[in-house]
Amino acid sequence: MNKALILATLGILALSGSLGAQELKITGEMWNRWTLENGKAPGDSTDAVLRHNFSLERGYLGLEPKFSETIKGRFTVDIFSTDLSKDGAGLKLKYAYVDFSQLIPIPDLTTTIGLQKVYFGTIYDWNYSLIGKAPSDEYKVANSADYGISLNGYIPGGWGEYALGLYNGEGYKNYGANLKDNVDPSLLANLRLTPLPGITIGGSVMANGSERKVKLADATDNSSYNTQLLLDGLLRAAYGPVDIWVEYISKDVKYAELFSSKDYTATALTVFPTLKLYKLIGADIDVLGRYDRWDETDNPANPNLLTAITGGINYNFGHDDSANSAMQLQLKYTAKSYDAAESAASYANGLKDTSTLMLQFKWRFANTLKI
Amino acid sequence: MQHKVVIFVLALILAALPVLAKKTQITCSGSTTVLPIAQATAEAFMDANPNINISVRGGGSGVGVAALQNGTVQIANSSRPMKAKEVTQAKSKGVNPTPYAIALDGIAMVAHDSNPVSNLTIAQIKSIYTGKIKNWKDLGGPNLPIVVISRDVASGTFEVFNEKALGGAKVGASAQLLASNNAIVTTVADTPGAIGYAGLGYLSSEVKILNVNGITPSDKTVKDGTYPLARKLYMYTNGKAAGDVNKFIAFIQSAAGQKIVKEQGFITLK
Repeated sequence: MNKALILATLGILALSGSLGAQELKITGEMWNRWTLENGKAPGDSTDAVLRHNFSLERGYLGLEPKFSETIKGRFTVDIFSTDLSKDGAGLKLKYAYVDFSQLIPIPDLTTTIGLQKVYFGTIYDWNYSLIGKAPSDEYKVANSADYGISLNGYIPGGWGEYALGLYNGEGYKNYGANLKDNVDPSLLANLRLTPLPGITIGGSVMANGSERKVKLADATDNSSYNTQLLLDGLLRAAYGPVDIWVEYISKDVKYAELFSSKDYTATALTVFPTLKLYKLIGADIDVLGRYDRWDETDNPANPNLLTAITGGINYNFGHDDSANSAMQLQLKYTAKSYDAAESAASYANGLKDTSTLMLQFKWRFANTLKI
Repeated sequence: MQHKVVIFVLALILAALPVLAKKTQITCSGSTTVLPIAQATAEAFMDANPNINISVRGGGSGVGVAALQNGTVQIANSSRPMKAKEVTQAKSKGVNPTPYAIALDGIAMVAHDSNPVSNLTIAQIKSIYTGKIKNWKDLGGPNLPIVVISRDVASGTFEVFNEKALGGAKVGASAQLLASNNAIVTTVADTPGAIGYAGLGYLSSEVKILNVNGITPSDKTVKDGTYPLARKLYMYTNGKAAGDVNKFIAFIQSAAGQKIVKEQGFITLK
């Protein structure tokens, strides 16, 4: 797999030239992280160190050929450190798509084909300003990237953005044989409006089905088949140095009638405030916080009610002409605790309350080659 | 006696306040096309307002717009209207991009001074830049290969040219991409067979200015909109311009400022 990806990367490089790309942007982003995580289950007398290590959590390398003003491609691989492979590194294909901006003659509409972003909630423009995933990614509600086709665009006049998508629904890590039980594609619609400067409201809906069909070949109910309806609502308020995101997610899972006892609905609420000190003291420092409440108590297979509180601080440096920073030092602390009564069964399965301290040095680059 | 000393010291401090007062700083960046207008008007404005310091940088329209979104400049210079994507991103960050037209400009098609061709249609320009027409003889000129010269794709001038002349089509692979209006004019002047384009403010007598669809780029044809490659040049602020930023923009739009616009080779708003 790794060799195939390296060959594919080199292939895209060669193709960019042979297909006559006007320019080729080469991008990279590395996350060097130190993690100290302690945790304990109810009844444990002391915290145990669950994790204490350095790692390369992400090592994105990207090629973005621009074939014309209306056709652009993007190919990104993620090289990361892992002990799951013998050489201590992993390699994943993250994005491989082409944008056509005039395929459908609607202003500011792009048709994207390939392995691409999933335009659900905040997951598609989550920039990891606080170490940690977007809520829908963190709680396995939606995937950050998937194979499919989407129409995504901006409303003229700067009133917002929208997307319609057709995806596998299984995410970018599943392909080939792993998709044998997926014959139902997922459908997505997303809308964000900016009625006033500093105010953004939006919502997403995604419908998905997995594990083939509701009936097996012998016409009996398939116990694994389920349909999922994912909903997301968000509000963003930005004024001066303060920027607050509030996101609410609902995941509704339904099985065949005979197995309806497995049905459940899970919800997440996230509040994510940022204070940008640059606008107050001139130094590019952000103070961040995050509150998460993930309620999966309705899920008989994994009942739990989680509260997570995070605080963090970022120092951004190495700015370019647009004031975007090439480097970022991030510190964050997260305390995760589960409601003991609501999560008893999951505690028995090894669930632990945790406190995690992370320090991360992130650096990125982008260079455009004229071909 | 003590009172007199205190009053004298207070009077001295009051007298020194204007000297001690920190200069107001205005920062603007963005379009290289707007750059000469911004620089020349800033110099004149600072001469008349010594307590205001204006820092002007280029970088391209996209750079200026991004800097306005990030809150690091008060003015973004742009040779094109902001895109819906840029406005949406700015608004979601609490930035309300507000455009002020400061000048008009025509993108002139230029050829080597010795070239007998004097007019091109938009369709011919598109065919030249997409590589379908490769020789001047196909345009009624000499048997001479066309040397296509274009701006780099990051420039606002390219974006306007690409939209108005090429309809978004891809520039042929053989085109030379140059980083400034000046470089294009200089290269075309030195290269028989060359064709290029540049803002009116950058033209010199060393190149031949071609009509487009039979229209000569001029004050009149740009103002009345008959010249096909005409555009407005903008300064964007976060919300309605206020204080010294407003004074500066009002100065550029005033008769004195527009005189400087004209001196720089661009076309006045009125």
